[in-house]
Order: sequence, then C-alpha cells, then structure tokens
Amino acid sequence: MGEFKVHRVRFFDYMPTAIRAMAFNAHTERLALGRMDGSVEIFNFADHYFQEKVIPGKDSRSIEALCWVGGRLFSAGLNGEITEYDLENLRPKYSLEAYGGPIWTITSNSQGAHLAIGCEDGTVKLFEVLEESIQFERNLDRQKGRIISLSWHPSGTQIAAGMMDMIRVFDVPTGRAVQRLLVDRGFGGSKSRETVVWSVVFLSDCTIISGDSAGKVQVWDGHTGTLVKTHLVTKWDVLALSVSKDESSVVVGTSEGTVIQFQFIAPTLQQQQDKEWVRTRTFKNHTHDVRALAEIETAIVSGGMDTQLVVRPLLEKFDERSHASALRKIQFPHRNLVFCAKKAGLLLFQFPGQLELWRLGESDGHGKPGDSLPLKRKPEKLLHLKRKGEDHICCSALSSCGGWLAYSTMSSVRLYRLQTDNNDISITKVPKLPKILRSAHQLCFSSDSSKLFAASSQSSVLVIALSQSECKYVHTLKPKSGSRQPIHLMTNSVDGKWLATANSDCEIHVYNVQKLKLHCIVPVYGSCPSAMGIHPTTNNLTMVHADQQIFEYSIVEKQYTDWSRKLQKQGLHNLWLDRDTPVTHVTFNPKNPEQILLHDMHMFCIIDQSLPLPDQKTQFYNQMTLRSLSEQERPSHLHAFKICKTFQDLLSVSLLDDQSLVMVERPLLAITSQLPAPVRQKKFAT
Amino acid sequence: MHKMLVEKEVQPHRRSGLMTYRPKMAKKLLRKSPSSSNKFNSANMTDDFQLHLDSSDDDAPEEVTFEESKASALRSMKNALETSKREKDLLKEKRRKRQELFQEQKKRRLLPAHILEEIDTAPAKKQKLPGDQAESNHEEASCSWEEGREGSKEGYEKETKKGFKGNIRSLKGNYSVMRVADQSSTNSQQQTAMDFIQARLYGPGSQRTTNNELLSLENKRGPNKSAAMQFVNKKWGTEKKAKAEKLKKQWIQKQKVPSS
Repeated sequence: MGEFKVHRVRFFDYMPTAIRAMAFNAHTERLALGRMDGSVEIFNFADHYFQEKVIPGKDSRSIEALCWVGGRLFSAGLNGEITEYDLENLRPKYSLEAYGGPIWTITSNSQGAHLAIGCEDGTVKLFEVLEESIQFERNLDRQKGRIISLSWHPSGTQIAAGMMDMIRVFDVPTGRAVQRLLVDRGFGGSKSRETVVWSVVFLSDCTIISGDSAGKVQVWDGHTGTLVKTHLVTKWDVLALSVSKDESSVVVGTSEGTVIQFQFIAPTLQQQQDKEWVRTRTFKNHTHDVRALAEIETAIVSGGMDTQLVVRPLLEKFDERSHASALRKIQFPHRNLVFCAKKAGLLLFQFPGQLELWRLGESDGHGKPGDSLPLKRKPEKLLHLKRKGEDHICCSALSSCGGWLAYSTMSSVRLYRLQTDNNDISITKVPKLPKILRSAHQLCFSSDSSKLFAASSQSSVLVIALSQSECKYVHTLKPKSGSRQPIHLMTNSVDGKWLATANSDCEIHVYNVQKLKLHCIVPVYGSCPSAMGIHPTTNNLTMVHADQQIFEYSIVEKQYTDWSRKLQKQGLHNLWLDRDTPVTHVTFNPKNPEQILLHDMHMFCIIDQSLPLPDQKTQFYNQMTLRSLSEQERPSHLHAFKICKTFQDLLSVSLLDDQSLVMVERPLLAITSQLPAPVRQKKFAT
Repeated sequence: MHKMLVEKEVQPHRRSGLMTYRPKMAKKLLRKSPSSSNKFNSANMTDDFQLHLDSSDDDAPEEVTFEESKASALRSMKNALETSKREKDLLKEKRRKRQELFQEQKKRRLLPAHILEEIDTAPAKKQKLPGDQAESNHEEASCSWEEGREGSKEGYEKETKKGFKGNIRSLKGNYSVMRVADQSSTNSQQQTAMDFIQARLYGPGSQRTTNNELLSLENKRGPNKSAAMQFVNKKWGTEKKAKAEKLKKQWIQKQKVPSS
C-alpha cells in the first residue's frame, strides 16, 4: 500500500470552552449549547448528533441560559442583555437590554407566548414574544435577593423562583409573591454561607423540586409551601436540574461530575403504595462540574466544565443493545480547525482569538515503519495573528502555495498576503476588500491561488479574484433551491474548474467556476455531509455523511460512480457504521489515484478502490493480521478499508506534496490538564 | 497682725494662771499695721521670740508708723503688678518666636518665586486635564464615538506634557491616565455577579483540588495501577521539575564546598 513519512504534530494547543447552558427543542430535535466564551452550537440529534451550526462568540457577550420559543433561540447573560439568534445567518439578530442588571436565567412558558428572566436586582421580568422581536411587559414583585433560577408552571399561571436561602412562588396574573419556601443551610462550616438555589423545576401537580448549593435535592408541595422530602446527594453543589416531558423523571447534575436520576415511582412493589420521588440511577460521565443538563425522550444529555457533551441513552427505552443505545461523548468540533498548505508545508491553526502559522520540521532519516526519525530542523511558529475587534474568528483559510491567508469574523473579513524569503516571513494586509464581502461562513482558496471563494448568506458563494496584492469581486454563485441555510462545507478541484458546497439542509451544489454558473445538484441524502473532497484527476466528488455513509459522485457525468453504487449495494461494514465520531476531512494521494484518505477523531483510514469491499463477515480492522501473514497469503485477505489506530485524538490529517502525512493530534490528557479545578474527593486507600 | 499674735501667745506663757488684760496694749495693737513682706515677718518673729525669751512682757512693742506700713503695702502691690507684666511679656515673646519659626519653615517649603510665576501663568490647561480624565473614566466602552475622543484626549496630553517639560509636580487628587479601550467592558454589576459565582464555585470553602490529583487518583485506582501523573507523563509540570533540578544542583554544590 505504501509507506509514509508522518509529521506527528502535537503543538496545536487547541482548548475547547466549558459548556454553560443547553436547551433542547423537541419539535426540531435540535440541541442548542451555550459555552462560556459566548459561542452557541446547534446539534442535530436526529442526524447522529452532528454539529450543524456554530455561532462564534464575542468578548462582551456572556451566556448564562438558553431557551427555545418555537424555532427561535434566545439567550441571556451577565451583561444584562437578551439576545435572539438568527440561525440562518449564524449571527445574533438583536440584543435587548433588560435594565435589571446581570441576568441569571431565562425561560419560556409552555404556550410560547412569554419569556421570564431572573435578574440580579431581584426582579422577575416578563417579556411578550412577538413576531419579530420581544417586548417588555411588566415586572413581578421585586425581591430582596438575586433571582438565580426560574421555572414556569405548565399552566403558565405561576412561576417558581430560586433565590438565596429561599424559593418564591409568584402568581403571574397579579405579580404577587404568594409562597415562600425556606431552604436550609448546609451543615458545619457552610452554615455561615447562604444557600443558593441553583435550579428549580415546577411540575404540573404543583410539586416544586429544587437543587441547591448545600448538595440537597428537595421536593416541596407548591400548594401549601411545605417540604415533602429532602435528598442529600452530594457534599458539593447541585448545579443543574432537568425534568422529562412526561414529568416522571428528574435528572440532577452536581459539582462532582455525577448525574443523578430521580423517578416518580412507588418505592416498593406492594399494592396501593403512593408514588414518590425516588433516587434511582447515578451516572459518572464527567470529571468536572456538570452545569448544563437536559433530559430528552430517550437520553440524558449533560455538559459542564470538562467541555465534553455526553449523551447517555436510557437503556429502558431501547429494546435491544445497539449502536443507538451506546454512550456518546462529543469532544472535538465537527469541522476543520487546521488548514494545510500542501505545496509550502505550512500549517494554519484557527483559535477563537488568533491564527497561528507554523512551518513543519524536516527530517532526512530513513527507518522501518514505527521508527521515530531524528529532526534536522524543528517546526517553528512563523506567525501569530491576533484578531481585531471583539468578535471571535468564525472561519479561516490558507492557500496551498502559502501565499494568501484569510479569516472572517461575524463583522469583517480580512485578507493577507504572505511572503516567505528563506527564513523571513512578511505579511501585508490587503486593504480594500469588496464591500459585498462583509462576513463569510466558510472561506476557500482555489488551488492556483487566483480566486477566493466565500460562503455568504442563503447558501450563496462570492467569487473574488486575487491578483498581486489586490482583489476584485467577480460574481455571486446562487443555488437554485433558494435555501436559506448557511454553507458549512466547501471544496474545490485541483484543476480549478469545479466548486462544491454543502449546506445545513443537506443540499450539495456543484458550480462550474470558469463559466460561473451552477453545474449540478447532487441527489439529497437524508444525513448532513460531514466531509467532501474532489479527486484531482477523475474529478469525482467523494462525500462522507454524518451517518458514516460514503458516496462518490462523478461531476463530469453528473451521476454516481460505479464504485459508489457497488459500495451502496454491498453496504458498509457494521464496525464502520458504529463509529461515533464523524469524518471531518477527505483528501487524495496524487501518486496513487485509487486511494482516498479520511480520518475521524480515533482513526485514520485509506480506502483503496482497487481492492474488494469487505462484507459483514470479514475482519474489518485487519492491518495487524495482515502484517503477521506471509506474502502469499496476504492478497486473499486484503480489503479496501485500511484503518490505522496508532494516532489518537486526531484533529486533522493531510498529505503534503512530498508524500508525507501530517497528523495533528490533540491528546485529551493535555486538555484535561488545563481545565479549571475539580472537587477534591477522598477515595479509600489513596 | 503678726505682732498681735505674738503678743497674745506671750501672755499665757508667762502667766500660767490667770490672764490679765492690758488696755494700753490693745490700743497699741490697733494702731499697729500688719507687717508686709514675709522676710520682715520671719525676722520679726525671730526677733520677737528672742524678745519674749529675753525680755519681759512689760516692754512695749515696737512702734511701726502708718507711713511705713503704707509704703510697704504699695511696694508689694507694685511688685505683683510688675511680675504679672513680666509674665505677659514672656508669653508674647514666646508666641512671636514660634510664629517666626513657622514663617521660616513655610518659606523653605515653597518653590522659588520664578517657578511659581510660571505655573500661575498656565492655570487653564491644568484645569482641563483632571476634568477630562474624570469624564473619560465614567464613559461606557460600547460607545463608538470614543475613538475620536481618545484621539483628542491624547492630543491634550501631548500639549500639557510640552508645557511641563522640566517639572514634575503631583496634581491634586488621585488621577491616572488610561485608555478607555484598555478597560474591559464589564461594568461593576457584571463584575460583582461574576465574582459571586466564582467565589461560590471556586472560592474558599469549595474544597477543590488540582487536575494533577484527579488524574493521579485515576491512575492509582484504575485497572492498570501506575504512579502519579507527574511521574508517568514526562511533560507534566515541567516548570516544577526544572525548579526541582536547579535546587538539587545547588544543594549538591553546597555539599561539595564545605568538604573541599
């Protein structure tokens, strides 16, 4: 198959941000995730938990809570503003100042007509949800402490508010506080500190369940204002609460990283037993605090300070153990953050706050497979480019010759010209960009660096011609379908003729760049494409989708290739389909046109189209076995999928022009070492 | 007075029995004026005691004329007045001297006159600078108009600096120069809220530990037991390890020096 020299890159200090809030929209099956740096991510739970959209953060924006009203997403933060997001253009639609100080929580009533926010100054403010905006309606009775959490009663007539040391129940029509439930302080030293009721949930039978900083989960009777039951679940804080739709189960997230489930069942099997809230399950899937929790129909979704999104399916909802009932951890983003200049051997790392350009090291040595070669020249950081302004970097691109660099934020696009003379590098900004280029969701350079493609609103692509040190707007490529969704993938062919784009509606359009018009539309497949690549010689478009299906489409002939039909007929191997991270990059080997190189977080794969496809009975991960076989036996055991698991936690794999592979790894241990402090737990015998 | 007392005492001494009254003596007593100064009194007393020891009580007391006693009274009054006057004068002197001392000290603290003149001629510019800074410290960072304002403030600073070339003088009050863009845009309420949540989750009483300990515990309790993180992972805690190496070398050096 081939031997490759591998540049094993571990100097990309990618650091994900902690998860602060989440909200699940049951109608559209989308989960909105709010992170501490102000960015919002939308995951499509119907499509293998694919990260569909990312709205980059902003320095001044802070997110404390998220909520869905129909298909609209609202967030509120400590800067005192309520923000509505435009999910089609991936930007905030508007921000409304609430004039109540920092906002701790936002929640909508079940009818979707009102939003309630809890403010630092002790007021609960009601906003009316209008067609295109929200409008302030009134304040409920102002309280003396800050309002940390809110929960509407399903009827919309009462609100429970968690404050310091107490829970208040408000009557919404009159605005009066009708009940006051006093929460006990903790034991011992924490008696002097006020108890913060971090979250409350108001059920339809007027039961209130609260989680507080003393580690208690308390069940209250909302009618009489009395405490029904206290469960002490942890020594640290109970930070998040979520109730299931049918109100039979409540999940609770703690500072220890555990998620505890309470269910409304009869505690023993005797007849005529009253149902009560009983602690049933404990999950420990996180190492740090769990700050956001959602219970969806078949699973519990949790996220917190360890930056991982964990989906734990509830096994009683599944008939059999399958791929769908396995634990899923989403650790890395489902898009590229590393760009490689193949001709120049340069790597571009995209951070939210800056861009880093590195030159790869060189080595002369030769060795057997598995050896570490000595470095003649170490990799060096050529450029550290900080962004301008408050908005975080949304996307970036590096031309394959290494001469052009571009990045985009929500408010501006910047283009730079790079010149490397031996060891010096100089960067000059291209001053006047076309006015139409305000911001881009994706950026891509053509292979001869003569054009820049920028994905703009409503799935259109702007074509910008680049000359020595200036640029000119050429044309806008528009899709025929009139989709309003943003483009999340863009790739172009090596000969500069074709450009393929994919948007969140799972539509893939192929444009003829020379004629500047739409060439064809690939038949829509139900799952969103997660990686695309155009073959350098045959101009076949290879697409890998979020459900791990692979298709190959011939652009010239406007139909699927024979190999693709063969693959679909045979079906992919079960082990391939059971992988839980999507493929994020597809690349090709110019020297060997039969090979397709792909990778996901845990494996690197070379698909050899000349070899037979594996069927369900073949051993899928057979590289080790093949090595142990003799030369004569090998050909009968070969199959097309050659998978290598030597390199783990992969962020990017690319093939340079000199036939060496670049593997950018980010060990999860290195990420854990930079997280904030976890709680101290005393374990026996340590 | 004194003479009278002496006389009376003498009489019962001499006569242990009855007391006789001598009218003559009484008249003489009335005419006599009380002695004025103490010196004379004491002298008189000794004289008198000697007298009554030596002489008999039939002698008539000494005659002191009215003019004499008047003169001595006047003298004593004059003396009293003089002493009070002297005391007043002394106090005045003291006060005057103190005042002079203060004046001198004040003169020493002030700068020479020509510099004071120079400063007095440029009061307008000085007034503007504190006022400008006070305003800018109150502005919200979200205003886009600030960039222009910043430029003009920097212009002001340059002007004033040129004026004060050779002189460092502290302005009245506490003012410091900073750019609005350098301050973070979080206002105080937001900062309080952030501090609150930071203190509740990570502040005192939250019983937190390090990631190192978390991972080391996992190592020790996992299926393949191994050592703590800093020993297993070579890159962990490189600064601490480098520091420990340096200290070790220093210690070895110290051990070598006394022995050699």
